[in-house]
Amino acid sequence: MQGTLLLTKAEIIRLRRNRRFLIFTIALPVVLYLIFAKQKATAYGVSFEAFYMVGMASFGAFSGAFNNNTIRISQERKDGWIRQLRLTPLPANAYVVAKIISSMVTTVPSIVIVLLLGRFYAGVHLEAWKWVAIGVTIWLGTLIFAALAVAVGYTFNPDSVQPVALVIYFFFVIFGGLWFPLSGGLKKFGEFTPTYQVVRISTDVVGSGAVSVAAVVGIAVWLVIFLSLATVAVRATAETV
Amino acid sequence: MSQEYASAPAGAHAGTQATATGTAHDGAAHTGASVVSFESVTKNYGNLRAVDGLSLNLWPGETVALLGPNGAGKSTSLDMLLALRKPTGGRIRMFGSDPYHAIKSGRVGAMLQSGGLMPEVTVRELVTLVAGLHPRPIPVETTLKRAGIAGFADQRVDRLSGGQTQRVRFALAIAGDSELIVLDEPTTAMDVETRRLFWANMKVEVAEGRTLLFATHYLEEADQAADRILVINRGRLLADGTPAEIKARAGAKRLSFRLDPVDEPFLLGLPGLVNLEVRHDLVQIQSTDSDATLYALLDAGYRPREIEVGSLGLEQAFLAITAEDDRANGDAHTGEAV
Repeated sequence: MQGTLLLTKAEIIRLRRNRRFLIFTIALPVVLYLIFAKQKATAYGVSFEAFYMVGMASFGAFSGAFNNNTIRISQERKDGWIRQLRLTPLPANAYVVAKIISSMVTTVPSIVIVLLLGRFYAGVHLEAWKWVAIGVTIWLGTLIFAALAVAVGYTFNPDSVQPVALVIYFFFVIFGGLWFPLSGGLKKFGEFTPTYQVVRISTDVVGSGAVSVAAVVGIAVWLVIFLSLATVAVRATAETV
Repeated sequence: MSQEYASAPAGAHAGTQATATGTAHDGAAHTGASVVSFESVTKNYGNLRAVDGLSLNLWPGETVALLGPNGAGKSTSLDMLLALRKPTGGRIRMFGSDPYHAIKSGRVGAMLQSGGLMPEVTVRELVTLVAGLHPRPIPVETTLKRAGIAGFADQRVDRLSGGQTQRVRFALAIAGDSELIVLDEPTTAMDVETRRLFWANMKVEVAEGRTLLFATHYLEEADQAADRILVINRGRLLADGTPAEIKARAGAKRLSFRLDPVDEPFLLGLPGLVNLEVRHDLVQIQSTDSDATLYALLDAGYRPREIEVGSLGLEQAFLAITAEDDRANGDAHTGEAV
């Protein structure tokens, strides 16, 4: 476990030096929030400011956990860094565990910053427990997207991973309603995405406090699916990595 | 991990291939346990047999070169030794247990050709990380010096030249206090001076009692650095012995003379003959016993002219051994006159 933590620490150092990571996980959600948050409208039964706060925090967390990891994992598989790690006393699963933990650590700032903007820039007022609940919900969503990133990164080579990741990324951003609230037919379809479910649980907390059971079940199912896909993808490469 | 034994019984290990020279190394001289043992190990990739009944032992403190042409099965053998691939048949033991266990307990330091580095961190950060994963880490500054990378320790790993990268890989292999060091083509991409420095540093590691196994296709390197050379071709062990024994095995002497007329069938029957080449009236023979070869020729009444007897280098020995094997497998090179 100590070795896994050392590797996690190194992964966090790398992410902090990566400008692309900082732009997508922190700068972009913050800028979008500053530009679009203040609208006289409602979404999912809450004010637009509150919806967009949840949306942008999820957007940053999703970008941080998914975008970077897919490309890095695929590249590090090809470069032989994963092989190199297998020659050390590190446990076999340490690489994947370190990726997931480092994602969960590095997405915390983007979530916290957007929530702070919601409170102090857009004037969203909530009870203390609700702030904690939406922060934790979005943060746990990171785990789902990191698991998906592991599955994609282990399945596709660096040549093809970028377009594949981009398609999946925009699919979940748009059909999950991270950028704008879903309605009508789009919503019927988008309701099944994990990104929508994370936003929906959070807006339910902001509003009535009564959380949609379907969304909670949905998100648990997605977590199981993505973790299974990740496990299968990692095992499939055991002889070639 | 259930690995079946291949068809050859384990007792027949090293088999017919190595008996000529290799017996001394498997004999009574080594009373301790072997560091590494391959027992009739095979590896198939689909229909291709990359490793074919390989049996060998490494003993504590030895420096052993694994020598073979490209595609001989060197990398596959090392991959299996390092638990990166599973053998199709046979068994590999390291320190008496399975290789995975030995690696996870930090008894092995390894450097692969295909091993990559973590980008975006500095050389020092990377060496510190890998040392930290080891149960008995070596001080980072010592490792940086030994690998000759202290001069660029604060540079980022992704901004190094090929030779520098190679030395960082080496540093990762020696970052912990391991008993066995495994290096796959360690000096590729190094210039002559760096290579010399590399082997000087390597000698320090070995002098501390470590066992070293390295794969190479630089014969000079195997000749100078190794106590023992394993020649492999087509996934099989062809020769196992000291550099001197390997040279002897292939026909230590080169004998050449002019003879008119040439009687090839007679020449092929000469004692000690390993290889024969005839160009017009010029005859070149590789022989394990040049005296006997020459006496037999003279006793038969021949009077060759311009007789020259010389020693064979390791390179020629190596080529002779692998060419012999290739011929035995039915695809003789057209340039050779046997």
